[in-house]
Amino acid sequence: MARSGRSSQKSGARRVTLGILIFGALALIVAQSAPQISNFFVPARTTINDRIGAPADTSFWAQISGQAERERRIRELENEVRDLARYKAAAISMAERMEAYERILNLMGEPPERGVTARITTVVDGPFAQTVLANAGRLQGVEPGAIALNEGGLVGRVTQLGDRSSRILLVSNYQSQLPALGEVSGVRAVMQGKDRDRGVLKDMPEEAEFIEGERILSSGEGGAFPRGLVVGTVTKQGNDWIVKLAMREHSSGYVRMIAPPEIVEPLPESELPELPPEDGTASASQGAQ
Amino acid sequence: MARNLPNRKRRTLWSQSGPSPRLVFGAAIIAIVGVLGMTPKEFFGIPLAWPFAALWGAMGWGRVGLSLRPMILLVIFGVMQDIVSNAPLGCFALINLLVYGMSAGIADQTDGMRDTLVAFVGPVVLLSAAFLLVWGFASITSDHIVRTWPLLTSFINTGLIYAFANRMYDLGRRPGESPGGNG
Repeated sequence: MARSGRSSQKSGARRVTLGILIFGALALIVAQSAPQISNFFVPARTTINDRIGAPADTSFWAQISGQAERERRIRELENEVRDLARYKAAAISMAERMEAYERILNLMGEPPERGVTARITTVVDGPFAQTVLANAGRLQGVEPGAIALNEGGLVGRVTQLGDRSSRILLVSNYQSQLPALGEVSGVRAVMQGKDRDRGVLKDMPEEAEFIEGERILSSGEGGAFPRGLVVGTVTKQGNDWIVKLAMREHSSGYVRMIAPPEIVEPLPESELPELPPEDGTASASQGAQ
Repeated sequence: MARNLPNRKRRTLWSQSGPSPRLVFGAAIIAIVGVLGMTPKEFFGIPLAWPFAALWGAMGWGRVGLSLRPMILLVIFGVMQDIVSNAPLGCFALINLLVYGMSAGIADQTDGMRDTLVAFVGPVVLLSAAFLLVWGFASITSDHIVRTWPLLTSFINTGLIYAFANRMYDLGRRPGESPGGNG
């Protein structure tokens, strides 16, 4: 009888524990709707991402069996292939850019590309966000908001940056909005992620249509992505223009993260440095007035 | 004497092991499947729908009633799932715990019945509830209705694998129960 009583007490305590845990988890989720609390967890997330994404040291067995040497050679060759693919992509984007330069005189040149190549250690295609985790972070020179590319083209943008890891939000993610343009038609639109392999072009400000099969490039508008990066090829399906993402066609498990475009905000008129007065009387601001 | 040997039920290592080794073994399988799930998952270019391994533990461990250690493990697995899938912290822990509680509730209501109907309907109900929870949370937190098909395929895989591997998540006896019978 007493044993039965103790058992039911224990069972009740377990139910209460389960209830407390469920309530705690629910409270945690609700609390994260406040950005201050949500941001509080970002350092913890990036630290764990560092642990997951950090490169493992070469094991002793790999060193004595020669596996480490073979892997080093494979990495060398893969780097070479990636470099060549990058030059190919750069040539395509430069041709497009040159055309723009010819049209627009006095265009400011693009700064040289600085970047870090990293291995993708974790892929998340879950229902919450399509992201990948790369094993390079702040210590390797990745910058916040860096642009990730692979052999095919644009992969995404760094949204969380740890010391040794970076979480990249893919352009295929539903919430990803990428200003894009057709390589041949020059029609502009915003590409939104549709599913794992495709995006859809929306918000076309122009009446013109894309050309079936043409390549879609980043337009550089908004300043988040540089201009001229290959995104994919476009086809019409029903009333929608669908982009087949190039990053899925040439994926070797590595990404190159380049610095995001830096656009210097123009100074307000009041803060403009005064020009030396011409003829010793009028200043620049006076001239504008 | 020798004639009786084939009739004697063979005692396997698994049948002799208690809840603790079974819990550790199940947790190890979940951890391994979870870690493998973080790698790119393609088979000849076809993306694989990876199962939600922690739900196997939630469904299986709950069948013998509530216990503290499985709850702690499910919270830990849940937090890891949240971090890996970039979900709000606590989301998968909540889902795992709810499924665990529901599994214990179903087992309690059916009084440990192991007939085919209970064995089939129970996990289907639990997985459906888990699917709705994941889909609901994902839709609410990302401000749009997320696609159901990729999620559904992951849950179908979770269920199919559980149909074959559910014995790995059977803790054998109720918490506090002695090996001989009633605790």
